[in-house]
Amino acid sequence: MADFQTIGKSHIRVDALEKVTGKATYAGDIYLPGMLLCKLLTSTRSHARIKSIDTSAAEALPGVRCVITGNDYPDAWFGSGALKDRRVMARDEVFYIGEPVAAVAACDEMTALEAVELIKMEYQDIQHVVNPLEAISEKSVDVHSNLEDFEGFGFALGGNNCTMLDADRGDVEQGFKDSDVIVEETYHTQPISQGFLEPMACVADLEANGRLDIYASTQGPYQVRAQLASVLDMPIGNIKVTAMEMGGGFGGKLRLAFEAFPALLAIKTGKPVKLVNTREEAFTLNGPRLETNIYLKTGVTSDGKILAREARSIFDVGAYLGAGPNAGVGHGLGAYSIPNFKLRSYGVYTNKIYVGSYRASGVADMAFATESHTDVIAHKLGMDPLEFRIKNALSEGDTAVNGSPIPKNGLMETMLALKEKMGLPKKLGEGRGVGISVGEWRSGSGPSTASISVNEDGTVSLLTGSVDISGSDTSLAQIAAEALGLRLDQVVVAKRNTDMAPFTGPSGGSRIVYSQGRAVQNAAEDAKSKLLDLAADRLGVPAEALECAGGAVYVQDNPPQSMDLGQLARMSLSSRGGPIIGTASLSSLPYAPVFNAQGAEVIVDRETGQVRVTRFVQAQDIGKAINPMGVEGQLEGGAVQGIGRALSEEILIDKGTGEVRNPSLATYLMPLSVDMPEIENILVEVPSADGPFGARAVAESPGFGPPAAIANAIFDAVGVRIKTLPLSAERVLAAIQGRTEDEYTVNVEELRKAEEP
Amino acid sequence: MKKQLQITVNGELRQAFVEPYYSLLDTLRDELHLTGTKKGCDEGDCGACTVLLNGKPVCSCLVLAHSARDGEVTTIEGLANGLELHPVQQAFVERGGLQCGYCTPGLILSTVGFLESGEEPTEENIKHALGGNLCRCTGYSKVIEAVVAAVDLTSQRTE
Amino acid sequence: MKRFEYLEARTVRQVISMLQRYGENARIVAGSTDFLVRWRAGVWNPDHVINIQRVAGLGRITYSSRNGLRIGALVTVQALEQHPMVRRRYPALAAAAASFAGVQVRNLATVGGNICNASPSGDTIPALLVFGAECRIAGPDGDRRVALDQFFTGPGQTVLRNDELLAEIRVPPPPPNTGSHYIKHSPRGAMDIATVGVASLVSLDERRGPCSEARIALGAVAPTPVRAYSAEDILRGHDLSQDLIQAAADSARDGVKPIDDIRGSAVHRKEIVGVLTRRTLEQALNSAATGPMTFEDQRRLTVQAAF
Repeated sequence: MADFQTIGKSHIRVDALEKVTGKATYAGDIYLPGMLLCKLLTSTRSHARIKSIDTSAAEALPGVRCVITGNDYPDAWFGSGALKDRRVMARDEVFYIGEPVAAVAACDEMTALEAVELIKMEYQDIQHVVNPLEAISEKSVDVHSNLEDFEGFGFALGGNNCTMLDADRGDVEQGFKDSDVIVEETYHTQPISQGFLEPMACVADLEANGRLDIYASTQGPYQVRAQLASVLDMPIGNIKVTAMEMGGGFGGKLRLAFEAFPALLAIKTGKPVKLVNTREEAFTLNGPRLETNIYLKTGVTSDGKILAREARSIFDVGAYLGAGPNAGVGHGLGAYSIPNFKLRSYGVYTNKIYVGSYRASGVADMAFATESHTDVIAHKLGMDPLEFRIKNALSEGDTAVNGSPIPKNGLMETMLALKEKMGLPKKLGEGRGVGISVGEWRSGSGPSTASISVNEDGTVSLLTGSVDISGSDTSLAQIAAEALGLRLDQVVVAKRNTDMAPFTGPSGGSRIVYSQGRAVQNAAEDAKSKLLDLAADRLGVPAEALECAGGAVYVQDNPPQSMDLGQLARMSLSSRGGPIIGTASLSSLPYAPVFNAQGAEVIVDRETGQVRVTRFVQAQDIGKAINPMGVEGQLEGGAVQGIGRALSEEILIDKGTGEVRNPSLATYLMPLSVDMPEIENILVEVPSADGPFGARAVAESPGFGPPAAIANAIFDAVGVRIKTLPLSAERVLAAIQGRTEDEYTVNVEELRKAEEP
Repeated sequence: MKKQLQITVNGELRQAFVEPYYSLLDTLRDELHLTGTKKGCDEGDCGACTVLLNGKPVCSCLVLAHSARDGEVTTIEGLANGLELHPVQQAFVERGGLQCGYCTPGLILSTVGFLESGEEPTEENIKHALGGNLCRCTGYSKVIEAVVAAVDLTSQRTE
Repeated sequence: MKRFEYLEARTVRQVISMLQRYGENARIVAGSTDFLVRWRAGVWNPDHVINIQRVAGLGRITYSSRNGLRIGALVTVQALEQHPMVRRRYPALAAAAASFAGVQVRNLATVGGNICNASPSGDTIPALLVFGAECRIAGPDGDRRVALDQFFTGPGQTVLRNDELLAEIRVPPPPPNTGSHYIKHSPRGAMDIATVGVASLVSLDERRGPCSEARIALGAVAPTPVRAYSAEDILRGHDLSQDLIQAAADSARDGVKPIDDIRGSAVHRKEIVGVLTRRTLEQALNSAATGPMTFEDQRRLTVQAAF
């Protein structure tokens, strides 16, 4: 294994100094001359036709410059995925409480708010549905009466089921017949919020030639650009999006949210317009995750081999298909080799805020179910939960759900590392328990481009269209530095926007280090080969005889025969090839799985139901840690988000109206430092075939194991099995005292019937 | 009606002309152009807006600007000495105690307030001092490490 | 959100005359930890806001073994938490103060403001109740005293008239061999409003033997924080055996009719009242008999109620 100079070392983040001094600029920090403030009016009805909107009083208020409604936009539909089921601002109909219906631009915030209160809306209520288990039934009222007319509508049951994902293999019925033990259960996960500290913000400005400048808190500048172009009916080239420093996204800022509101106001007023979400709007305006109901049926032999699984998961997507089940279908299997399976994931409309993505959404929801279920099966068989997992684990050569062969990977290593670190199996004292969860995810792919130019002094400028959401700028710089034999401080990561940086997919879905990193590595190699060619020409040796390291290109057998990168760069200005620039572009990379194993030790207070995590250990195969400190940071942050999900976080939805009841950080309870244990990380490195220097994705996996690990630990501690989240004191106490009332029933028969021809 | 307000920020006497309903946070950001202090919730639930007011960490989103008149405020912009970072800033940088950076100014000010309070820097006391600061990215492990390192750095610098 | 006029008062007299002048649509602010939040939410819409933070004479906290504690209404919750005599003589109060919100809010929130807010779940209140706190109210015709357990009339409501100001809270000195404890039941170890809060105080004649005084106060399980008088009667004058303590806990539990709300159901709250009453009594008895714990130990048991 090569001796790495820059990667594999814990460098300080390239943006650390800006952030600790307050100099980093987030979208809300932008103040432009003549800037107007934008405030929104939102729907107070769960589902209604808009009969009339009277903005005259609002427009007449001194200090108000412009008021817009949905009718001010071109008559266009848009969508966050394949399904174009929504308007950028409600036009004739509103579908949930909180849906934007008007926007005001005024000279200051107070005036804008006063103007919003002066807008008069007249609604005519339409029947609505809130419970997804009702909504999926044929008898339910429709959220959208024109589902089949939506562009992109394809495979689904219809009614409120707008999307369906499926995966089949073998013969599940036969598999169940051959099984000795069958376990059937239903699990439920709660609505949760990404909880980013920075509410979304956007400043829209017009250039003199009429181009639209958008400064946004976003993970997907090219996606925002394209969607804005579509909803404003203008060419993509007319819009420039600059992704500002972002105060957390976690998937919640991947797509067009409300940027179109300040954009249209800027166009109409000719002034810059800023919209900053309030914290309340972060809950009611921006897609969270909604509830999931998961039915699992698994057949095993008496000696612990899984033969068959049927999984049906119903994802509440809210009023529009924002992010849907995503990869939820495949994760009905988890990290196990199951020869016969039938997996279905249904996205169901309800009259609520639409869903967004959140750190491996789809998987995160499924993992609580499947990994609790795994323990239930193990206990039923009288087997140790870890040994049961090991016995059924996927191995190299098996076929993944998507049909790809499973390449070399570190699943077994992570499980064994966890076993050793925690001393499993073990029995803890009274009221204490230990539980584990093993997870499967994948490294993200998608179009990725990068370019590297060599400056006249031998430093390089790296241009990447990605947004730094996980310290990725530092990792990408390390990759470039390693490939070119430079120090990290010799790589400048350019501040960029969509005009200057080449297209790249959104920064999410675990694709930055893996795919964008690969593109960066390729671009660096491209630059390197041009440097070598130029040097070869000057030094009179073949390029193969040259090495590039320590800021210079030199003859391997005769190092003093060299030219430093600065010299080469200056020379290149008048050379045949011209100034040196390396580029790379790729559209997808092969499947590179990411496996992790997590374990929680808890103490449960039998009399109050309170649960405390006293120890949390995780092992993850990260392929190659580009920046170990950065990798640990992602693992720790993800694990704590998972612990929050497990113990205290929940968006409470009014059962009658679908309204969010707790849009506040006082009542949406995210983990604080006082309650968190130290997180212990084990970095397993089984290199991927195609990631830069063998790296795999890192950041999403740690988030989805903790709920099951903690639920399993609670079972170990006090013998109660809880199948819904969060594992609050009230819920745990009720379970201990045998008075649980939670009940979620998936009507599996109706779903099975719906598939019959 | 806007009224004049005088307040010392980072050692400099500043004038602001703001409405009575303006918070100290909005005054710092909108009027005095000190955007390092962040607004996470505007309700006192997250600590991102933490500044030192007369030496004590407070949520600046809760403070009526005019009630802070003639007071002394320290914001994140006031900690470094030119290019020389405050030991707390240094420690956060070196230990990876930050990711997206949005909670960072508030966390750093809370830490500075704690270290200057003279309370014993046990891990438990540190966690309680930071109990009002939400961080969504780091999971707190490296934040606590950074604070512990800052304790060492501070005592090194005073030696 | 309604625009308002902002005024500052320098003396108690000024406060009262401003209150008289501006009537019902005036609101006092001190630490203002609640004001801006409720104003932005449209819950409070005063025409006039009167800042009393610079009123002379309301910001001190003093202790004497004869008169006990005198807490000026403007004393911050953090100052209360940190005061050495509060930690030593009124440990449940110091720990309760430590459990309130986070330090950034405690540095602003005033004890007076907390009390006048009259939240059913205010953390400092159960502890003040078991110590027999008394309010000194300033009004146009002079001062009047109201025992804290008579001060609250409903959620967010007190006996204060429109032209009155809570000036000071007096807490008598606890007798020797007194132990006290507060436990807060909430999802997180900071920042949360209590789902249930219980404070207990036990005084023994000597280090062993019957208790001369037992007091229990409950937060977040009634329209106001309340004393559990029937439960106390079971204990007062008796040896505090485990059975007797359990009986008192059961009585406290049976005596409350909490509501279902966003933080918890009535059923759950009743269960917790029973458990925390027993635990705080046990802890208070232990401290009365063997001496107080360190502040850190006290705080740990207050916010991490279990374990």
